[in-house]
Amino acid sequence: MSITLSIARMVKFTSQNVFRNFWLSFITSTIFVLTLITINAVLFMNVVADSVLETVGQKVEVTFYFLPNATEDIVASAQGYLRGFSQVRDVQFVSKEDALNSFTQRYQNDEVILSSLSELGENPFGHSLVVSTYSTEDFGFIVDAMETPEFSSYIKEHDFTDYQQVIEKIELLNKRIRYAGFCFAALFGLIAIMIIFNTIRVAIYVHRDEIAIMKLVGANDWFIRGPFILEALLYSLLSTLAIVIIIFVALGASHVQMIGFFGDAGEQIIQYFKDNAIIIFGLEFAGLAMLSLLTTAFAMRKYLKI
Amino acid sequence: MIRFSNVSKFYEPSTHALLHVNLHIKPGEFISIVGQSGSGKTTLAKLLFAEEKPTKGKIVVGDWDISNISQSDIPGLRRQIGVVFQDFKLLSRKTVFENVSFALEVAGEERKRIREIVPQVLKIVGLSDKHSRYPRQLSGGEQQRVSIARSLVHRPKILVADEPTGNLDTIHAYEIIQLLKKINEYGTTVVLVTHDRDIVNALKKRVVTIAEGKIVSDIERGKYLLS
Ligand SMILES: Nc1ncnc2c1ncn2[C@@H]1O[C@H](COP(=O)(O)OP(=O)(O)OP(=O)(O)O)[C@@H](O)[C@H]1O
Ligand SMILES: [Mg+2]
Repeated sequence: MSITLSIARMVKFTSQNVFRNFWLSFITSTIFVLTLITINAVLFMNVVADSVLETVGQKVEVTFYFLPNATEDIVASAQGYLRGFSQVRDVQFVSKEDALNSFTQRYQNDEVILSSLSELGENPFGHSLVVSTYSTEDFGFIVDAMETPEFSSYIKEHDFTDYQQVIEKIELLNKRIRYAGFCFAALFGLIAIMIIFNTIRVAIYVHRDEIAIMKLVGANDWFIRGPFILEALLYSLLSTLAIVIIIFVALGASHVQMIGFFGDAGEQIIQYFKDNAIIIFGLEFAGLAMLSLLTTAFAMRKYLKI
Repeated sequence: MIRFSNVSKFYEPSTHALLHVNLHIKPGEFISIVGQSGSGKTTLAKLLFAEEKPTKGKIVVGDWDISNISQSDIPGLRRQIGVVFQDFKLLSRKTVFENVSFALEVAGEERKRIREIVPQVLKIVGLSDKHSRYPRQLSGGEQQRVSIARSLVHRPKILVADEPTGNLDTIHAYEIIQLLKKINEYGTTVVLVTHDRDIVNALKKRVVTIAEGKIVSDIERGKYLLS
């Protein structure tokens, strides 16, 4: 039989299967969609967590206070040295004058402090460098790096401001969220596999008489498999399309609330789904299609011996 | 046409459904297979269209030894042998026309030929006017006629009917038998498995009686011998 003719017939049988078993088709697609919603919800949570952690991480800095005798040249070379590290995102130079200014600003109403400062007659502050890194985990490395004899004798102290504890907590939280996200994804993945497996098994079981009849009137095995394979692909495609629409409509409709609720993260989530739409939904379609094809093959082999 | 040589069929674990069966069916014959429940009639029919394979012995259809037929050759055999069952085996979600054309579509027949053949066989079974009904909108006898029409689309040389009247009342059963006789007169070999004493006696054709998997009598123009 010619290939175009058999494909045309398979498409015809598939559409008859789909429309004349409307409820079964509808329920199968709905379960596919629900599965995808779950998976995308886990993804959503991961993006939120990532983005929140990143935002907080960006606000954490370590400051190196130099002794007043450290010249601007020395501090500048330390700045260059720090910038040389790939972990370092930015190094801000704060001059002793700036430090004095912001100090007097802060205590402008405190006569005692201001008068004792003017009694000193000179600027008691040194220069300082404010370092931020890409990851909070790298602060330890940076502090160690500044222990070189070249600079260590000029440094009065370093200070994570109040963040030392925050950093540790964030790192712990980060690890836990990733672990939980992974567990969730694995769990829902497993549930998804079981549900889809069972849905397809039922769909094929419902068609078992039809398949037996096809065999009796002399249909070859590929011709019998064809419509079921097309059906599995069709459900995967339709439910992926549905999920794309659902997600973008939901994100669009809740845009304002998302920004209100998650702040910057809200914007990032929307951007994330936009930027990665093809990869995310492409992979979800591929996964769904592969899973449903495998189960189709398995169920036909098991129940129909073809 | 059909030759069983010393055929035995065992089912797991220890059912001897058929034992040392020798049977020769000539082209154009109308043969009835009778026997009590569990005697092996359906098994014999299934061996003919390769739903089961013989445990021992040899089955030849035409010039074709189907004793060890491969999975991929079975569709070819099924297109040469029409089969009809007690429970009709129609697709409930396809119309009468579609149920019949289906057998041609899966065999890759062209649309033009399908549009010629289907009305022809529907006319033979007398259902031309009901081609767009669904099986549930037909009587049992009509459903069986659809299934006979379907079995005829490939112009089979052999028609195997396993208790085709088992679910029908006397009048409808009589109609079906008349139809089978008509098909036989056109030249198709008919193998009819039945329980029905009246039908067998009225046919006055060859009767093969099976008991416990063995052929116990084989009579031209036979009668229903069992009590
Ligand atoms: N698939 C099977 N597996 C195991 N045993 C089977 C199978 N099919 C039939 N049998 C057994 O083989 C024997 C013959 O069965 P068969 O169906 O050929 O009888 P039958 O003459 O058609 O009976 P009936 O008149 O009730 O339809 C019976 O004992 C039956 O239980
Ligand atoms: Mg039987």
